[in-house]
Parts: sequence; structure tokens; C-alpha cells
Amino acid sequence: MLSINNLSISFNETKILDDINFEVNQGEIVTLLGSSGCGKTTILRAIAGLQKEHEGNICIGDTCVSSKEIFEKNREVGYIFQDYALFPHLDVEENIAFALDNLSKKDKLKRVDDLLTQFDITSHRKKQIHQLSGGQQQRVAIARAMANKPKILLLDEPFANLDSQLRYKTKMWLRSIIKKYNLSAVLVTHDKKEALSISDKIGIIHNKKLLQFDKTEVIYKKPVNYYIANFLSEINILPNSLIKKLNINKKEDEIAIIEITKCLISNKKDLMQVEILDKSFCGEYYEVLIKEKDIEESELIMLKSTLENINLEDDIYLNIEVKDIDIILK
Amino acid sequence: MKNKFSITKISSVLMTLLISIPMITLFVYLFVADTENWQHIKDTVLFEYIYNTLYVMIGVGLLTTVIGFTSAYLTSFYTFTFSKFFDYGLILPFAIPTYIIAFMYNGMFGITGNITTYILKLFDKNLSEVVFFDIQSIEGAIIVMSLVLYPYVYLVCRTYFNFESASIIEAAKTFNLSSWQVLKKVILPISRPAIIAGATLAVMEATADFGVMQYFGVNTFVTGIFKTWEGMGSIEDASKLASMLMTFLFILIILEKFQRRNKVYKSSGKDYRPIVKTQLKGRYNFLASFTCFIPFFFGFLLPFIQLSFWFFQSYEKVIDEDFIDLVLKTLQLGIVSALVITLLALLIVYNSRINKDKTSSSLTQITKLGYSIPGAVVAVGILSFFGILHKYVLDVFSIDFLISGTVIAVIFGYIVRFIAISINNFEAGFNRIPQSYDDAAKISGIGHIKTFTKVFIPLIKNSAAASFIIIFIEVVKELPLTMVLRPFDYNTLAIRALELNEQSQTIESSVPSMIIVLIGVISVLLLTKNLKKAQDAKY
Repeated sequence: MLSINNLSISFNETKILDDINFEVNQGEIVTLLGSSGCGKTTILRAIAGLQKEHEGNICIGDTCVSSKEIFEKNREVGYIFQDYALFPHLDVEENIAFALDNLSKKDKLKRVDDLLTQFDITSHRKKQIHQLSGGQQQRVAIARAMANKPKILLLDEPFANLDSQLRYKTKMWLRSIIKKYNLSAVLVTHDKKEALSISDKIGIIHNKKLLQFDKTEVIYKKPVNYYIANFLSEINILPNSLIKKLNINKKEDEIAIIEITKCLISNKKDLMQVEILDKSFCGEYYEVLIKEKDIEESELIMLKSTLENINLEDDIYLNIEVKDIDIILK
Repeated sequence: MKNKFSITKISSVLMTLLISIPMITLFVYLFVADTENWQHIKDTVLFEYIYNTLYVMIGVGLLTTVIGFTSAYLTSFYTFTFSKFFDYGLILPFAIPTYIIAFMYNGMFGITGNITTYILKLFDKNLSEVVFFDIQSIEGAIIVMSLVLYPYVYLVCRTYFNFESASIIEAAKTFNLSSWQVLKKVILPISRPAIIAGATLAVMEATADFGVMQYFGVNTFVTGIFKTWEGMGSIEDASKLASMLMTFLFILIILEKFQRRNKVYKSSGKDYRPIVKTQLKGRYNFLASFTCFIPFFFGFLLPFIQLSFWFFQSYEKVIDEDFIDLVLKTLQLGIVSALVITLLALLIVYNSRINKDKTSSSLTQITKLGYSIPGAVVAVGILSFFGILHKYVLDVFSIDFLISGTVIAVIFGYIVRFIAISINNFEAGFNRIPQSYDDAAKISGIGHIKTFTKVFIPLIKNSAAASFIIIFIEVVKELPLTMVLRPFDYNTLAIRALELNEQSQTIESSVPSMIIVLIGVISVLLLTKNLKKAQDAKY
């Protein structure tokens, strides 16, 4: 449905995206994940035709464009902006009907009615935008984006303006809508939880490049390098002393990592004696900073649900399973 | 590629070129060889022009700063008796043109003024027996102009205080500083760029003034330009004088921009938070009310009372069919000019919005320079250009095309002089519209024209209304530019007011003056309402 081939974008001769390649199939939700300012929104803008100057091709269905063959109209994309960009001087109904000038009055009304019903905002149809809650505004924005029956939905940080409760509900609702209409969707976010929970595939953007693009579970379980592993989950890099004790073989450009949830401590004698440097109460669990006894630069972080069943005055040992350790590129 | 040659861009380039022509023509005169007349001007009056102009600039700069800053500080940070009234009351002097306040003050405090005569009679004294301050002097001109120009400093400082300073002031208060210490250590230093920006506007107006200087007999650059053009009949030498003044003012603007660029004090927070005002009590309450009452009284109330008094004395004599015709002609000129200027400014700013390139933004900046040039200078620039056009183009090809001395020339002058005000209004309006609206409209594929009519027009209608009102009042007040460029026997209310005063018919002059002031007051009130509406709008 959507294919991005060798996409590179420069601003004032500074390259901000370099050789980006990925594909989105029909009905698939793809999330571009990266830290703020990494260029993910620029990719969305290029797909929508708002970022005109670029190298490489963007293909939507059978039509491919390079920056020399710009077309803005009929890309059949719907764009949901981070600030929703709802026109404040128009009411809900007028906002949704904004791009439906090509339809007859009757058809336009029918389409708007359908969307209002589908998105459960019929009772707000005559309201001004400022009279709506954040979640309702988002529904209007999505309804407007879908008014022209796009094939691809582009979503720029769609949950950024919602509180955590609403964010969860909206995420599930949005996923069901996209699946129901068999749309292809590209979503950008810097929130890994959001990306993991909504996406079929994830692309990690860092340092101008698309570092890894794969199915959500694959990218989570088999990150290709430390940046991705660290971005998607909370990990510890195992200290060299421990690697030696565990007889792990790794190359110069590789590191051994383990999720912090897989690191455990107890008073039972095990592999490595550790000392607790710091502990902080985080509500549902304790975050504990430990290090191998008498060995410098061997700090590890671990989470512990309770500290009641451990005697902090006694010797404390680290328990980890070798199978939980991954060797990845630095 | 298509944007590079869009219709809006081409029209913008042509517009800018046209608007810049008087400036470019004058700039060329800087390098034209001296004439005999010029030598005479240099030997006799040039030094006086320079000295007086600088004296007026410094005087008005200092006085408007003191009045404007003090009143802005008090009304922004404190609540006291009538403080809500003063919020708007202190802007009202804006409605009175400088030359009208000069007529009023001379009529009251001049040698034969009614208040002077009354006081002398009361104490049974002659003028020679008392220490008398002659209002018809350069110092008098500075005082009367400052009384109506201080709102520039007042408004700029108030806006700055209201939008930028709340968190900085609150931070200062946490260090247990007294109000006086907060003023001295924080408010004064951080508002320096705002004070200078406001004072520069006031100084520019004073430098551009013709009416007061002419009436009080003070020789400045602007009156000099007139004398050279009218008295010596030399447009070349008038242009040379005008070019010197224009260059000097450009340097002043560059210096002002430079000082602002290096000292932009903005609070770190993005969200607007209103200042929590302190309630004043006892003598401080009285002092604050009294301090704000002084500029309101002398800048508006007193001259307005005098004006009304004379108006009711003379209106029956003055208002006839000709006068009604004059009022209608002035209103017509104001409405047409305001409409044309507003539309052109919209075109220029919209072009800059949709074609985000350096050329478009430079075009906007160039057209904005016109406001810093006095009306007299603009007029002379236009006359010079028409002269050159006739001499080298129209006469050579025997083309019979007359612009000079027509209403079109007058409106063209207004465009050059006032389009900057309108551009600033639209820029502020467009800046409030997020870029994502443009993108959303683009994606919907409705095209440029519909985007403009469906999205931008509803969102900038307040800016358009503000622009129209301000330009309208500026045109109604305008004096020197209209005097130079008007067709033969074409009068406006402002010119009639000056003419009557010059014929010592001060009381009769109150009738056209009153109409100008009333139009001014209504415009200021409409503007304030429009501003409030824009603030209250949920977008």
C-alpha cells in the first residue's frame, strides 16, 4: 500500500533523514519511534506531500512520486496533526465537512452524519471546537481526516494531548477503527509503550537512519543494537567481571544485556555477591541500584516488588539466568 | 517550482517596487551635486534644522518615557481609585492630533490665550511684569507633543508587562524585595527594550510633525522641506533635505532594532499569566490616581473641554453646505485609502505566509520602512519621482498621463506612509494561526483560494478591522503629505483646521478639529473593543 524507497531529506543542506526504506501493507499499523527531533514527523509530512523537497520515492498504491513530481491532492491520505489543527471558527460538523466540497449537498450531509455516528460525536455536531474535551477533539480530527475515505492514515503523536486514562481508551478505540476500515496507518511517537501496544510493526529512527524496521514482537525481543534495546525496554549492560564469571563469549563490538526485571537479589549464596548502593520506593516496586562487592564500575539496576523478604544486613547475592542474557551490537 | 512565480508573489514584488520608489528616488538625491540654493541652505538654516530636530527628538523622547512608563507601571501593577478607567483613559490622548493640541494650548496658554488673560486679570498684572513661559516655542512644542505621544510608550510598556513579566516579577518578590527595589532592580532594566521601542515611535512622530512646528514657528527638517519646496520652489533641494532626514531616521531605526535584538527579555514560561495587582491604600492610592490623572487631564480632558467650548461657540457659523462637503470628502478619502491599504497589506503578508522564502520576507520588511519616513518626506519623494517620470519618460514619448496633483497621488502617498501599520496588524494576526491549519487545508485539497476564504479570512477579520480603523484615523489626521500632494482646491478637515488657525481664526478652527477628534475617539474606542474581542475569542 505504502512504500518508502531511499528517502533522504535535507534542510538548508543539513541532512536530517538518510536513506529511509520501509513498507506498510493494507490494514497494517506502523509506528515510527524515535526521540524528539529525530525527523519522524518529517517522514509523515513527506508522505502527505507537505514536505516537498526530498530524494527517493514515495509510492502510494501504484503511484510513485519523487520530489520532482510533486502532487498534493489525491494522495488519498488522512493526516491527524499533533495539535489536531481543527479550525476554531467552524463547528464540529463544518470541520468534518471541510474537505467534502466535491460532494453534492445531500451526499456531504450523509457522509458527515455517518462519521458523526461512527465516531460517537453526533450530540456535539453543532458545538464549537473549544467546547469539546481533548478526547472529543481528537475524534473530530480523525473523523475529518477520514471524511474523504483515505487509504492511508497518518497520525502525528495522536495521544500527546490526552491524559493517561483517556490515552489508553483512545488507543484501543483508534486501533479498532483502523482495523475495521482496513486502513494502513503510519503513526509517529516518542512513547515506546504507545508504539508497542498499538503497532503491527515498528521502525526505530535515530541519527538520521531507520535503525530497525520489523514486527513489534521481533523488534522488542531481538533488537539489533544497544540503542534500540535501551529505547524499547529497561536494560542493564552486564559488567565485564560478571561476563567472565558466566563464561560468555562476545566480540569487541558487542555487549551483553539483560532486562532489569530479570535481575534478582536474595540472601541465598549465588554467582556474585553485591552491595546495595541506593534504593528508592516507586509505588508498586522498589528500584535498587547494586554493584558487585569490591569491584568498581559494576553497577546494575534492578526492580524488586518488596524488600521485606530480604535481610539487607546479611550478604546479598545477584541471581540471573544465562538464557535471559542477550548479546547485541554496541 | 510553481511557487516561485505565483500570482501573489509577482503582485507582492510589483507592490514593493512601487512603494519603494519614493524612497529610492530620495536616496539618489543624497549623491546629487549641490546647487546654489543648497549652498545657501547649508550656510544659513541647515544647522538650525539639525539642532532643532535633535532637540525635539531628545525632549519628546525623555518626556514621553517618563509619562508613558510611570502610567504603564502604575496601571499594570497596582489597583487604585479609577485605575480601571485609566487603563483606557490614558490611551485617549492618541485621539488628538499633535497640531490640534497645539492649537488648544496656544489658545489657552499663549500670549493672548484665554487662561493667560484670565490669570493676568485676576492678579492685575501685565505680561511684562511676570515670568511667562511662551508656549509658542520649541520647548512648548516638545511639551504639547509629548502630552499626546506618550501613549506609544504607555501601550508598548503595558503590553510587555502584561504578556512577559508576571513570572519574572513574582520571582523577584520571592527575594523579599520592596516594590521600589523590584521596580529599580527588575522592572526598569527588563523593560528597557520596550521603553526604547515605544519612545522611538513617539520620537519618529515628533520628527515627522509639520503642524505643530509650522504653527509654533519652529524650524525643523520637516518645515524646512516645506519652505524649500514652497518658498524656494526647489524640489531638488527639498529632496536633498528629505533624503538627509530619511537616512538619519533609517540609522535610528537600525540602532533601535540593534538594541532590541541584543536585549530580548522574555519569561521562560510559554503560557500567559496575568499579573497579580497590588491594591494601594491611603496616600499611595491618592498619589497613584493623581499621577495618572495628570497625563489624562492635560493630554485629553483639558484640551477637549476647551475644544468643546469653542465648538459650541462657533459651530453655527462654520457648519454650512461646504463644510458638510468637506467632512464627506475627508471621510471618503479615509475609507477608500484604508480599504486599499488594508487589501494591499493583506496581499503582501499572505504572500509571505504561503511562500516562506527570504524574498517574500524581505519584501515585507522593505514595505514596512515607509512608516518611519515623515509624510513630508514621502510627499517630496513622490513629487521627485513624478518629476523624473515626466522629464525622462512621459514628455519624451509625448504621453499625456497625469498623476501628480490628483487624488491617486495622495492615496499613493498614504500607501507608502501607512502600509507598515496594516502589515504589522496582519503579521500579528497571521502569527496566531498555527502552521498546521495551512497543512490541514492543503491535505484536504480545497486549493489556495478556498483555503484563503474558508480558513484565513474568518481568522484574520479582527486584524483587518483593526488595520482599517487605524489607517482611517491616520488618513483623517494626516497633514503634510496631503498638503503637498493634493489636487488644486482639494481640502481635508486637517488642512482646513490648520488654515483657519494660521488666519487667527482659532475658535472657528475648533469645528473641523472637533470632528477629527471625535473620529479619533470613536476609532480608539472601536480599536479597544476590537482588541478585547480578539483576546476573548477562543481562537
